Amino acid sequence: MSEPDTPKIETTVQGTGTSETADSIADRGRTVIESRNLSVHYGDEQALQDVSMKVPRRQVTAIIGPSGCGKSTFLRCINRMNDLVDSAVVEGELLLEGTNVYDDDIDPVALRRQIGMVFQHPNPFPKSIYDNVAYGLRIQGITDKMDERVQTALERAALWDEVKDQLQKSALDLSGGQQQRLCIARAIAVDPDVLLMDEPASALDPIATSKIEDLIEELAEEYTVIIVTHNMQQAARISDKTAVFLTGGNLVEFDDTESIFENPESERVEDYITGKFG
Amino acid sequence: MGTENETTEDLRRTDGIDLAQLRGGLFEASLVFATVVGIFALAVLFGYIAFDAFQPLTASARWYLLYFGTLVAPTAAYTLYVRRRPAARDVNAKAFGVFFGSLMLALVTYIVASALDPKDVFVYAIFGAVPPTLVFLYARISDDRTYTGPLVPVSIVGGLAAGGALFDVVRPIVGIAQEWVAYFGFVTLPVAGILGLVVARRYAAKSTAEVGVADDDWRTVMGRQAKYRGGLAFGAVVGSTLVVVVAALVNGIDPAFWVVIFSGFVVPVAYVVGQTVLDDADGRIGVAGPFVVVGGVLVGAIIERQFAIQGLESFLTPNLLLNSWDGLNASNAGVYPQIVGSIVIVAFMALLAFPVGIGAAIYLEEYAPASGWGGRLATLLEVNISNLAGVPSVVYGLLGLALFRNALGFGTGIVFSAAGTLGLLILPIVVVSTQEALRSVPDSLRQASFGMGASRWQTLRNVVLPEAVPGTLTGTILALARAIGETAPLVIIAVATTRYTPPEGLFSAATALPLQIFAARSSAHAEFRHGVVPAAAVVLLVLMLLMNATAIVIRNRYERRS
Repeated sequence: MSEPDTPKIETTVQGTGTSETADSIADRGRTVIESRNLSVHYGDEQALQDVSMKVPRRQVTAIIGPSGCGKSTFLRCINRMNDLVDSAVVEGELLLEGTNVYDDDIDPVALRRQIGMVFQHPNPFPKSIYDNVAYGLRIQGITDKMDERVQTALERAALWDEVKDQLQKSALDLSGGQQQRLCIARAIAVDPDVLLMDEPASALDPIATSKIEDLIEELAEEYTVIIVTHNMQQAARISDKTAVFLTGGNLVEFDDTESIFENPESERVEDYITGKFG
Repeated sequence: MGTENETTEDLRRTDGIDLAQLRGGLFEASLVFATVVGIFALAVLFGYIAFDAFQPLTASARWYLLYFGTLVAPTAAYTLYVRRRPAARDVNAKAFGVFFGSLMLALVTYIVASALDPKDVFVYAIFGAVPPTLVFLYARISDDRTYTGPLVPVSIVGGLAAGGALFDVVRPIVGIAQEWVAYFGFVTLPVAGILGLVVARRYAAKSTAEVGVADDDWRTVMGRQAKYRGGLAFGAVVGSTLVVVVAALVNGIDPAFWVVIFSGFVVPVAYVVGQTVLDDADGRIGVAGPFVVVGGVLVGAIIERQFAIQGLESFLTPNLLLNSWDGLNASNAGVYPQIVGSIVIVAFMALLAFPVGIGAAIYLEEYAPASGWGGRLATLLEVNISNLAGVPSVVYGLLGLALFRNALGFGTGIVFSAAGTLGLLILPIVVVSTQEALRSVPDSLRQASFGMGASRWQTLRNVVLPEAVPGTLTGTILALARAIGETAPLVIIAVATTRYTPPEGLFSAATALPLQIFAARSSAHAEFRHGVVPAAAVVLLVLMLLMNATAIVIRNRYERRS
C-alpha cells in the first residue's frame, strides 16, 4: 500500500513473459473487447448509456466511478452475466475479437468459458480446494492432467505454496484473502482470454489487497484484465488504462491511466478524482 | 450543562420503578411462562400415554432393580465416560446410527418385501437397477459425461416400465428359485456393492492423503489397488452371506429372514466396528455404545425369566408387534398388518410425492421467470402452494375420494389410493420446504458457477443441489412423519380400520396404524381402551420419532461435510 501512485504504463513495453512468442508480444495492446453504443436498462432504470470503448489486450483496464454509475453493469455485459437478470435489456454492440457477443447465435455459456470472472466477495464453492479449481475444467469435460492443471492455476494465483499440503481441505477454511486468490485460480484454471474482476479487493484487508494487486499485475502478462474498483489509488497503481464512469451510466473519460490521473480532460472527472464529489 | 458529572449520572439505575424496564421484564416473564406451559403440556401428554402403555405400577421393585443394574447403570456410566472424549463421542453417535439404522432398514425391507412377495420385488429391482448400472459403466469407460447424468433417472424409469411390460414373462422364471435367492438379489448384492465402493474410495482417499496429491483415476496403480480391495470386500460379503444360507439350510431353517438380517444389519455393523477398531485408536471405545444398551436389555431379560421376576404387565409386547388383530382378547391383539400397511402406504407415497414436489420446487425456485406474465403466474402458484399446506386433511380425503375413486375408478381402501391421497396432502409441504432449502443457497455460488461457464443444469447439479440436500431431506422426512400419523383422509377414502393380513401389493386393501388406534378406542373392553390403544400409540410415536431421528442424522451428516 505504500507504493507511490505511479501509473504502470511501462508494463506494456517491459513486462514480457519468458514463455511468450514474438507474435503475442506484437499482439499486446491490440483491441480485444470493444463496446459500441452499449446501453443497458433494468426495467425503467437506465444503468448504462451509450458506452463506447476499446479494451486493449494483455493490459489492465480499470473502471472507476461512484456507486451506482454502471461500472459493474458494464463488466457483466462483457460475459453476459446480465442475462441472468430477467429485467435487463441490452442495446448496442459488444465485440469480443470482432464478434458481437449479443448476436442471436452466441451461446452465453460458451462465452463465459472464455471470460473468467472474479467477484467482489470471495465466493468459493463449499468443496475442497482441489475441487474448486477443478470445477471449471470438469464442467467443460476436461479430465486429463487434472493434477497438473490444478497445480499450475494455484501457482499462477500465488496460492500453491500456502495450500499444497491441504488440497483436500474445504475451501471455506481459508482466510478471506486466500479465498479470493482461490477464486482467481478457479477462474484462470480454464485458461480464459479475459479476466473480469468486480472490486476483487474491496472485502479484504490491506495486506491481502496488496497481494491481490501484485497478482493482477502478473496476470496481465498473460490475460486481458478488466477490473472494477472504487479505490482510485488502486486503479492508479495497477492499471494501464482507466475508464471513468459517472452518474447515469455515462462513460465520461477513457484514456491511459497516467493522463486520467494527472491531466484529465473533463472537469467532472477531475472533481471526482480529487475527491470533490462521489 | 454538559459537564461530565451530569452525563455519567444519567447512566446509573434509578431507585424508582422504571416503566420501560417493567414492561421489558413482564414481556420476558410471559415468554418464560409460555415456554413452560408448552413443555409441561407435552410432558403431561406423553406421561399419560406412557403410563397407560407401560403400566409401570405392575412391575415389582426387583424388576426395576434388575434393569437398573443391567441397563440403566452401565449405560449411564458408559455415557459419562464417553462424553469426555470427543473422538469417542463421534464414534459413539456413528455406532448407534449404524446399529439401529441398519437394523431398522433391514427389518423394514424384510417386512415390506415379504408382504408384497419378494420375487415380485426382485423382478422390479433388477429392471430398475441394471440400466443405470450400465449407464454408470459407460460413463466410466468412455469419458463422455455429457448425457450420462440426466440418463440415470430416465434409465431407471425406463427399466421399471420394461419390467412392468415383461413382468409376465420374467416372473415365472424367477418363481422357480427359492425365496432367499430373491432377498439375496436385492439386499445382499447392493449391500456388497456399496461396501465394495466404500472400501475402494476409502483406500484411494487414504493413499492420496499420504502421497499428498488427489488422484481419482482408476487406471493408476493406486486406483487398481483400491479396485482390488473393493472387489475383495464385495466377495467377502457375498461369500459370508452364502455361508449363512448354507448353515440355515443344513439346520432346516428358512434362510430368507437371516439373509436380510445378516447382509442388511450384521455386515454394515461389522464393517463399521472393525474399521473403527483398526483405524481409530482414540475413538475405539465409542463403538461399544449400542452393545452396552442391547446387551443390558438381553441380560436383564434372561435374568428376569430365570428368576421369574414380576415384570411390567403392559400390552407393549412382542404379541402386539407380531400378531394380527384380535378384537376379543386384548393380550392376543397385534397390529402387525397395520404397521406393514402404514409403512407400505408411506413408502409408496414418498415415491409418488417426492419427485413431483422436489421437481416443482426446483422449477419454481431456479427456472421460473421472475418478471412478466410468467413471473406473475409463478408467484400465484407459489402463494397457492403455501395456502395448500394449511388445508385441513379431511378436505384432502375428499379430494382423494373424488380423484382416485370417482374419477380414476380405483377401489376404495387400497394402498394406491391411500398413498396418492397422503401424497397430495404432503406435496405442498415438500414443495415449500424444498424451496426454502434452495433459497438458502447463497446466490453468489450460483453467480460463481455461471461465471465459470457452467450451464444452468451443471450449476444446479454441482453447486445448488448439494447445498440444498440437508434442508430438503429434513423437510421431506418431517412431511413423511406427518403423513404416517394422518387418520382423517384415510377414513374418508374408506380405508378399512381393521384388517387381518398385511397388504400384498399396491392395489390390495390395507389399513394403517392410526386407523386401528381410532377404531380400538371405541371398543367395549376397557383393556383395549386403556391398554392396547396407548401401547399402539407408543408404537406409532416410535415409528414417527425414528423418522425424525433419521432426518436429523442425515442433516447433521451433510452439514458437517460442508
